[in-house]
Amino acid sequence: MQDPLVLIIDDEESMRDSCSQILLKGRYRVETAPDGTTGIQKIRDLLPDAVIVDLKMPGISGFEVLKNLRLIDPLIMAIVVTGYATVESAVEAMKEGAYDFLPKPFTPEELRMILSRALEHRRLALEAEKLRREKKLLEDNVITMVSHQLRSPLVAIQQYFEVILSDIAGRVEDKPKEMIRRASERLTGLLNLINDWLDLARIDQGRLVGKLKPLDPGKMMRKLVEFMTPLAKEFEVTLEWSGPAGPNFEVLGDEETLEQVFTNLISNAIAYNKPQGRVRIGLREDPDFVIIEVQDTGIGISQEHLPFIFDQFFQVSRREGKKMKGSGLGLSIAKKIVEAHDGRIDVSSELGIGSTFTVRIPKVRREADPA
Amino acid sequence: MTTIAPKILVIDDDPDFRTAVTAILASASYDVIAADNAAEGKNKILAERPNLILLDIMMDGLFDGFSLCHSVKTAKEFESVRTTPIIFLSAVKNIAGDRFGFKGEEQGMVGPDDYIDKPVASADLLARIDRLLKR
Repeated sequence: MQDPLVLIIDDEESMRDSCSQILLKGRYRVETAPDGTTGIQKIRDLLPDAVIVDLKMPGISGFEVLKNLRLIDPLIMAIVVTGYATVESAVEAMKEGAYDFLPKPFTPEELRMILSRALEHRRLALEAEKLRREKKLLEDNVITMVSHQLRSPLVAIQQYFEVILSDIAGRVEDKPKEMIRRASERLTGLLNLINDWLDLARIDQGRLVGKLKPLDPGKMMRKLVEFMTPLAKEFEVTLEWSGPAGPNFEVLGDEETLEQVFTNLISNAIAYNKPQGRVRIGLREDPDFVIIEVQDTGIGISQEHLPFIFDQFFQVSRREGKKMKGSGLGLSIAKKIVEAHDGRIDVSSELGIGSTFTVRIPKVRREADPA
Repeated sequence: MTTIAPKILVIDDDPDFRTAVTAILASASYDVIAADNAAEGKNKILAERPNLILLDIMMDGLFDGFSLCHSVKTAKEFESVRTTPIIFLSAVKNIAGDRFGFKGEEQGMVGPDDYIDKPVASADLLARIDRLLKR
């Protein structure tokens, strides 16, 4: 570990010399600069641990140096010295980020003490920064690791089951085959649960919804409707889309998570539907929001259940015959994602008739819009 | 004249997954070789010249798989095998992207020819391989 580097910025040669001598005795490395401009350049080039700067200098003042120092690295400690010590200049210097203020004349002891405190402060601040970074890295890694550690064995088991069920590993009797098939379904449920829990963990850390960028909601929904058509066919349900045909109004959104929301709403609308039922997906706008509706002719939700529909783990009993693989977390995740977009999600429903989920996402304010 | 069976290279660090997938590929009469990490994968690509590569992208580091794919498709040392189709295998949904877009694009990386989620449905995997080999 090298000795700490201290940069002395003062227009008076005698000051630079005497400070240097004091510091060199105290096991510091020393650099000097005769004016603010050279001082700032040396800060950039050398990145010292501390700077001792005179407030009043011809050309660029000590205040200017402080301002620049903060922009270069706020963890470099600045000690301001001046022969014109006033309360105002002291306060001003502290506001500009100086660690402390040393009025001239000062003794070598005073200089060494102040510097020692400043460097201790810097050491602690650097340590805190390092711990913050490590914590973040750990959190990121834990999520990824947990995700991988939990999924890998399940995936391997599922893959073996898939091979057995495809008769690739040899003929399997009906009874054991059926049991393996059921076991596989339960594993799929577990995998979905893990995915959803990890989504929730990430969303709570603000890590699920990525940076919001301008996106065309119509384009996104058209893609999704196309993607979900095979599933609808499987359930004998028709998907209807009504929305703008061409490129249209924009919202600020994270495409991946919004897709997740609507995939969830549409697959629910399909799965909770009646045979030969319909799912109508519509997109329209009002002055402030883009409004996307997913309406189904399904079994509906009773008024007593309606307030809880977005709660975690809440599940209404399913349609006979077809098993969906949900975890009960889908709608609570959807709600959090929509809220992370500053949007709203609402539901209206009538038992036996159907449900309508309405998502509102704020539109991007354009320059031309009135304030 | 007998035709030589197409050779498929499986790069995946999970031995059970490799066993299961090998069974699927063998049932369709493909010749299967395996590697359990990106480095070994690289060597086998050059040494064995497979007709197609199945690449798990959740091995040691996420970018191991991404950068291997990018190398094969762009680097000089892989020029002779550049056109080998690559399918990403992913156990973590959406981590690499999907039909909606390759996420490595932001890093300037070249993506795979197809994606498939693990666990793979045998019919689905075989259909995608068939499609790429017929190109």
